[in-house]
Amino acid sequence: MYTPTMQKNQRIILYILTLIAGASWIILSGGKTGEAVDMSAPQAGFTAPDFALSTASGEKYTLSELRGQAVLVNLWATWCPPCRAEMPAIEKVYLEYKDQGFIVLAINMTYQDDPFNIVPFTEQYGLTFPILLEETGDVARAYQLNSLPSSYFINRNGVIDDVVIGGPMSEALLRARVERLLK
Amino acid sequence: MLTLFRELFAPPRHMILLIIAAWIGLLFAERRTERHGVEKAHINNILFYGILAFIVGGRVSFILQNISIFSKTPLSAFSINPDLFDSLGGIAAAFIFGLIHGQRKQLPFWNVLDALTPFFAILAIGLGLSHLAAGTAFGKETSLPWGINLWNAVRHPTQIYEALASTLTFILLWPKKHDSRPGLLFLTFAALTAASQLFIQAFRGDGTFILTNLRQGQVGSWGVLLLCFILFEIRYNQLEKQSPVE
Repeated sequence: MYTPTMQKNQRIILYILTLIAGASWIILSGGKTGEAVDMSAPQAGFTAPDFALSTASGEKYTLSELRGQAVLVNLWATWCPPCRAEMPAIEKVYLEYKDQGFIVLAINMTYQDDPFNIVPFTEQYGLTFPILLEETGDVARAYQLNSLPSSYFINRNGVIDDVVIGGPMSEALLRARVERLLK
Repeated sequence: MLTLFRELFAPPRHMILLIIAAWIGLLFAERRTERHGVEKAHINNILFYGILAFIVGGRVSFILQNISIFSKTPLSAFSINPDLFDSLGGIAAAFIFGLIHGQRKQLPFWNVLDALTPFFAILAIGLGLSHLAAGTAFGKETSLPWGINLWNAVRHPTQIYEALASTLTFILLWPKKHDSRPGLLFLTFAALTAASQLFIQAFRGDGTFILTNLRQGQVGSWGVLLLCFILFEIRYNQLEKQSPVE
């Protein structure tokens, strides 16, 4: 037999009180947008940790000086198979979108890689975007690197829009993320 | 301890936590399914094909949202990248599959939801833990003694709050003494989960805001809570009609 545990009007009062308390909590605890943006951390919603690194030919790049452009920071090493596998797709997407303000900074983990492999590798794959050399491990620490490859999609304001850990990234994924950055 | 946990399950390994939670959830759901008048085989089928529908639906939804991109490289549709995925689309596909499957097999809707409640409850715990491992759904900065060091600041451990609230919900709902009338167990779970999310999201450091300063997640949770209350009343009315009070 059906036996109600609470009268209908008692239940309605409970619902209304709960909803009023919930609505009050939403208003009282309301914040403001962009709390995380002001800080620097390797996570979506934060300003990307800044760095200044050079290519093998001595050309220097500073991330914070690239504000206004959409940036893909890709941490990689020549010995890492998924890093190698995703390079052709990155190159293709870079060529396709570079005129719209997209740049790739591929940071080689030189401190745990063989520096003599880097130039032959870039020539073999015909990479035209900047390959930066990370010789100290500082950038890896700033980006709390756990796995290779790790990719950070940074919007025109220098804020990380998305992080992709592991790979290889497909062309479709790269295009989807880059088009979102350029919107 | 926390550092070790985060290193052990750092992305993309945080997904393992969700798989473990789904497996444990299935074990718990199986133990009680017959109490809700649903055969174990039906629950296993719904979960197995539901998870498949979630995976396929999530990918298809992502493709449909980026159709111009996939038209250039159609084979990317079969890429193993887990990031080519739309979670909401996946959930919708799993729900639609569940409805169709339930209707074809003439399974009682509310009984099935009740039987699946332990699965959802354990999965919610796993979701909180996977957020903790990935560092997503992070909290605001705090000076409270239980704050955790995350993303270069001491923050509210919102992911731990989330896992604890889900554990508490499971502990509250698991005992057999509860009202066994169909639908009430699931609705209680949904209402408690929505209420805890509404509370916890206030401490989040991320999120989207609407109407200047209202958190979208909190407003959504409030909407779910309202829906649960409406469904509670609909269920009570249906049950009264089926078996009126003397």
